[in-house]
Amino acid sequence: MKKRDIMALPAFFALVGPALIIYLFIIAYPIVYSVALSFSDFNPNRGGSWNFVGLLQYKTMFSDPNFWHALKNNLIVVAVSVFGQIPIGFVLAYILYRKLVKAANFFQTAVFLPHFLSTIVIGILWRRMFEADGPISRLMQITSGDPSAQFDLMLYSDTVMYPIAFALIWIYTGLYMIIFLANLQKINDNLIEAAKIDGASEPQVFFKVIVPMLSGTILVSVILAIAGSLRGFDLIFSITTQGLQRTNAMVLPIFMYQTAFQNYSNEMRFAYGAAISNVIVLISLILIAISKLMSRKTDV
Amino acid sequence: MKHSKMRIALIAVAMLVFFVSTVGAQAASESGAGAGKVVVKAMAYGDNSNQEGVNWVRIVDAFEKANPGIDIDYEMLYDEAYHQKVVARLAAGDVPDFAYMGADARWGAPWKEASQQYDHRDLVDWNYFDQSLIPPMGPNGEIYEIPLGTSNITTVLFMNEKLMKSLGLSAPKTYEDLVAMVPVARAKGIDVITIDGADGWAWGSCVMSTVIARISGDPNWMSKAVAGEYKFTDKAFVDSLAFLQKMVKDGVITSKSVLVDYGANISNYSNGKALFMAQGQWVAGGIENPEVANNTVMMAWPKLPGEPADAAGSVAAAIQVGYGLTKSGASNPTVRDAALKFIEYFYSEPETTQRLRDGAIVAPVLKGYQVPSDLPSIVKQKVALAQRAPNTDVIDAFLSGDANDALNTGMQKIVSGQSTPAQIAALVESLVKR
Repeated sequence: MKKRDIMALPAFFALVGPALIIYLFIIAYPIVYSVALSFSDFNPNRGGSWNFVGLLQYKTMFSDPNFWHALKNNLIVVAVSVFGQIPIGFVLAYILYRKLVKAANFFQTAVFLPHFLSTIVIGILWRRMFEADGPISRLMQITSGDPSAQFDLMLYSDTVMYPIAFALIWIYTGLYMIIFLANLQKINDNLIEAAKIDGASEPQVFFKVIVPMLSGTILVSVILAIAGSLRGFDLIFSITTQGLQRTNAMVLPIFMYQTAFQNYSNEMRFAYGAAISNVIVLISLILIAISKLMSRKTDV
Repeated sequence: MKHSKMRIALIAVAMLVFFVSTVGAQAASESGAGAGKVVVKAMAYGDNSNQEGVNWVRIVDAFEKANPGIDIDYEMLYDEAYHQKVVARLAAGDVPDFAYMGADARWGAPWKEASQQYDHRDLVDWNYFDQSLIPPMGPNGEIYEIPLGTSNITTVLFMNEKLMKSLGLSAPKTYEDLVAMVPVARAKGIDVITIDGADGWAWGSCVMSTVIARISGDPNWMSKAVAGEYKFTDKAFVDSLAFLQKMVKDGVITSKSVLVDYGANISNYSNGKALFMAQGQWVAGGIENPEVANNTVMMAWPKLPGEPADAAGSVAAAIQVGYGLTKSGASNPTVRDAALKFIEYFYSEPETTQRLRDGAIVAPVLKGYQVPSDLPSIVKQKVALAQRAPNTDVIDAFLSGDANDALNTGMQKIVSGQSTPAQIAALVESLVKR
């Protein structure tokens, strides 16, 4: 190390130190604590000693049908995000970029608008839409002529994710549209003109020119979508009511919350909750690794 | 170059000073150091949009003005956020000195688990509070909190008397009387009973708690079942669950109830869309249509099919929540005395009367309290119901965790035709045993 570099060390530590300390306390410490907790029976609310219980919490989790139900719902949310929000956002961005519609600014604002609203507000708004004799039920009553018709998809575990998927697409598509639009605007118009002169149709321009050029953006969006979907709690919590609806729509973060914070019949509930949260992180890392691998293989 | 090094050094020093001063200021503010005041950490219940929260802020401001040596350092949260934060604070060791708490399986569980419940019997001024109105909360008669009011009735039928009269109907004495109202109500395009069936807890607290006591004939069936004296697969419990099915089949409650949430339920009743509303006594202050509120009769559920005579007219009721010292708060005499002083101020006669008028409590626990004669009609109804109706167990005061969740969700499944009573009874029994 040069003498000049050694002289700069105090300044370096003074600049980086505060942020590093905050990072270690707020991010690193809870992660290490959570991993350690998941291998113990410790209940921080009750106090007492830590006892190492090995993989007990993980074994309990994998034999719990609620875990698999929540994981299935979570994977549906991931699928909706990756195969719903991102493609729709991309197509909308392309339509705006190529000026295939009039009043592009209006549509851009309209699609992005939900992203400005609090997720809790959106959840409550959609809950009102789906309630008994709510707007959607009224629409069904008017169109079917049956005054007793009700929108009841939220009551069944097989159908609850359809309305939630719709709400998810409504909220987040605008975000991906803006990301893609910003990156599309950086593309040199001459490339598209050249493709047109060579006889490329609009779909060919889209798939052969635009998509490959935005492969990096697509990958970043997929990572964002996966991470956001797996930790998503607020929307599903607020769009459902306590009881049957929330049980039907349970995703891993809600399962973790209910286990750790509400299930007093399980004395090891904090350790169990920590195990669930660690698995959420692990699944997230696996899915991100898969998407990176696929993007390399397909060179998207 | 020299300038840039100087600039880096200055920025670095400035950041360090900022960091140290921020952390230091936070620590100083938390300890109350330097202010010369007794800082009492409190956890309050309410928010800025409800009467409970607005009153709390006003009372704290007035108390601190009257007692400049005491600083009530509070955190106020409501509903789910409150329950979540209690657990988080206790787990983190950030125990408030006094808090809004209960003593049962729902409101008391986190405090009990953290060993923060504190027996108030030797601390409370029994010339101020009426001990005979505060039930024992622990195995040896301990009192862990001062309830805001006497027992909290959770199974009330609110009857819109004016609407009933306009349809030529009178108060039901039996369940069959409710069934007889179905065609009349349907012809008018309204429901007989509205309930917030989308909230799982409403089925347990506001319906099933009275149904199991009535059908079994044992007012303490639930606490005994949790203690192992009864099984949830017993005929009385299965029949009680089947009664929910019967109510839907008979049209007394519609199957769409499972899509109605708390706010919509009160709104439906306030707007005359149902003859009755099933809820707890606390809703009395939330009926915003004065015409409906002034013409509401609060009653116990009528006689149910197969109900033994000695269970007639009973309502499920739990010990009301209130404010209490934590063990941590009680360990410091200065803080303890300051907290107790605030608690007495909070429960003072004018504040208690306001709470009574707001419909937040059934009746005060103050010694020698004279009930004002000019109370709103619905509040008088509530007091009268509390005086005449025998009390039975509230389910979630005894049953907690996943067994209680499975029961609440199970009742919603029964009502929406997805499960049978026997299936849900077996599931709850297995979870209680586990």
